[in-house]
Amino acid sequence: MSSFSRSAQQWATFARSWYLIDARMQPPGKISTMCSIRLQGKHKPIYHALSDCGDHVVIMNTRHIAFSGNKWEQKVYSSHTGYPGGFKQVTAVQLHQKDPRAIIKLAVYGMLPRNLLRRTMMQRLHLFPDDDLPEDILKNLTEELPQPRRIPRKLSEYTQEERDAFPGIWVPPEDFRMK
Amino acid sequence: MAARCVWSTVSGVWCLASSLSRGVFQKINKVPLICAGSVQCRGIRQVVEKTDGKTTTIEGISVGASQWPQPPNPEGRCPICRWNLKHKYSYEDVLLLGQFIRSDGGMLPRRVTGLCTEEHNKIAICVKMAHRAGLLPDHRPVLPEGHVPKPKPQLNRYLTRWSVRSVKPILRKGLKWCKVRMPVGDPCLKNNVHYSLKPVYMKH
Repeated sequence: MSSFSRSAQQWATFARSWYLIDARMQPPGKISTMCSIRLQGKHKPIYHALSDCGDHVVIMNTRHIAFSGNKWEQKVYSSHTGYPGGFKQVTAVQLHQKDPRAIIKLAVYGMLPRNLLRRTMMQRLHLFPDDDLPEDILKNLTEELPQPRRIPRKLSEYTQEERDAFPGIWVPPEDFRMK
Repeated sequence: MAARCVWSTVSGVWCLASSLSRGVFQKINKVPLICAGSVQCRGIRQVVEKTDGKTTTIEGISVGASQWPQPPNPEGRCPICRWNLKHKYSYEDVLLLGQFIRSDGGMLPRRVTGLCTEEHNKIAICVKMAHRAGLLPDHRPVLPEGHVPKPKPQLNRYLTRWSVRSVKPILRKGLKWCKVRMPVGDPCLKNNVHYSLKPVYMKH
């Protein structure tokens, strides 16, 4: 901004901001892409891989993420302890019950570049299963990002006027009795 | 005791863009506003009293069909074609889907609703997806008396093609050329109108 003083503009360009994302009813993959872009600093015109320009991202309501399709049952997270017979495969449901933050954490980890800076960027990612955030994080937040997916309305959320205004598509016959 | 109906006309612009994901409805003036109780009963009747000397006749004359607004395409074979909704609805349009379901969530038969086969199947699939997404909370099946359902994990989902109990986990995902995909949505809706450049892809 040309109206800022030099020091204010310098600070606005190079400061590390804190972003907030609400993951309620959102697909974890889309949340994670938004996260990884901001953790690397790729949303800034001054980006360079070595210049450590990533920001902090706080994700709340990770317990209430929504997978499309049947991924809760079909998606399998595998790991090996290193010992023989130590191959463990866990479905997304089981992993989510054990740790509600693990799905998003693994998704973001897989989207970051595979270098030594990945661990530092993961330290700047803060995940909370519900929407009660600690005060020191609340004080740091600068911006809330819009949710990637439009949440559809339930039938109970429509008012009676909206339901009446919607036209009837078909007419039930005279002797029809069941609803 | 017949249902009493209060008619009123709504003048001005009537826009439904908010209720359907794609706003297709034309602006129609003078929409009759029907009260909640009347839609549920057999047929909408008006009570008429006639007195001939010593005989008083009270009868209910069904008013029903003539009061609904005219569909934009009256030559269509099924209700969806008549209202020009053929490739335009999705699992989110619960106001449309809610007209074809019973109170316990099941679909009404095709001979009653008058839908053609493919549209009936599409609507049935969309209704199933809406149930699994939790968009129809009041259309639950009636449980037998005293039956307490087991506590199940409350998971949010959308565009679920298969039933939740029937799906097996993909233990061996396969290599790039033979990946086992996780299907999303349903191929019967592949011809739906979409205004984005990216195609809607169903094999995640």
